Amino acid sequence: MKIETAQPKRSDEPIWWALFSAGGVCFAVVLPGAILALAILPALGLTTGDSLSYARMADMVYHSLWGLAGLAFVAAAICLPLFHAAHRIHHGLHDLQLGGGLASKLLCYGLAALTSATGVWLLVKAWVS
Amino acid sequence: MNKSISIARYHPEQDNQPRLQAYQVQSDHSTSVLDALLQVQQQDPSLGFRWSCRMAICGSCGVMVNGIPKLGCKTFLRDYPDELTVSALAHFAVEKDLIVDMQPFLQHLNAVKPYLINSEQSAEPHRQTPAQLAKYQQFANCINCGLCYSACPQFGLNPEFLGPAAITLAQRYNLDSRDQGKAARMPQLNGKNGVWSCTFVGFCSDVCPKKVDPAAAINQGKVASAGDFIISMFKS
Ligand code: SF4
Ligand code: FES
Repeated sequence: MKIETAQPKRSDEPIWWALFSAGGVCFAVVLPGAILALAILPALGLTTGDSLSYARMADMVYHSLWGLAGLAFVAAAICLPLFHAAHRIHHGLHDLQLGGGLASKLLCYGLAALTSATGVWLLVKAWVS
Repeated sequence: MNKSISIARYHPEQDNQPRLQAYQVQSDHSTSVLDALLQVQQQDPSLGFRWSCRMAICGSCGVMVNGIPKLGCKTFLRDYPDELTVSALAHFAVEKDLIVDMQPFLQHLNAVKPYLINSEQSAEPHRQTPAQLAKYQQFANCINCGLCYSACPQFGLNPEFLGPAAITLAQRYNLDSRDQGKAARMPQLNGKNGVWSCTFVGFCSDVCPKKVDPAAAINQGKVASAGDFIISMFKS
């Protein structure tokens, strides 16, 4: 056991922890709301016929909130929850003694970043076309 | 009443691993696990274990009781009508029977500079309001028993993790209005073996015999460390 005299290097964990915390809030608040509004209520016939129509949705996604509503939704319903999940998997792998090092970090957060970027890219692509 | 208890015996020069040995003890409503161990020692003086105060103050009688970290003097046989197995605290190296090497724990405590740091050389008492005291008082109740380290799976996986009691102690002084040592303590908390090794299992707070709630202290420490991280971005 070495004596701890040297100052340890600052961990970059606050970044991942912040994304994890924000993702946790989205998981708890935004996703249930989205599932309720986009899946359960329409399936139960509790919404009016055109509330999810293309024209209305496209207008909401691309024009409300100064045109940022779509981006906000992708961030809150896809990107942040992905980083939340990635953080859990990364630490879960450490608990199972299967990872927790740089490789699992790159894999977990890398996949979250890649999938997030895909979501944003699809949104922007549909927007400009 | 006669009661049978199993004790994990270990003699490092003779045994490859601890082995269970059964003993009979006399037990009534007030018999603690420590009392039972003292009875066993009368029968078998080779049994090794630590104790001192018998009143949950010195923190030296920590053992695993049926696999859960407990203070021997604060745990009673009456609560274990069935089996009762006593073994050495988990996650520490066993020296003999129920005696573990607490050195790593003490080193971690030491690493966070657990004392008031204040350059003012005044002969006056440093006054504190009840509100200022309330900020850290709960965290000052730790008796350094180490039960939280035996409860913590992250310390089990990574013995370099500062661990619950040390981080709580850092928080205890960081929150003290008389202290100026936070800047000197933060680097330990900011490192990967500091607050960020904690995954908020929370078992440390369940087993703590003094209701210190180390898990809460660590989470306050995470917020403090995240704040420190942001400040450091503007400084460099
Ligand atoms: S925080 Fe509680 S369990 Fe941990 S060493 Fe202190 S008194 Fe013991
Ligand atoms: S003997 Fe002192 S805490 Fe148990």
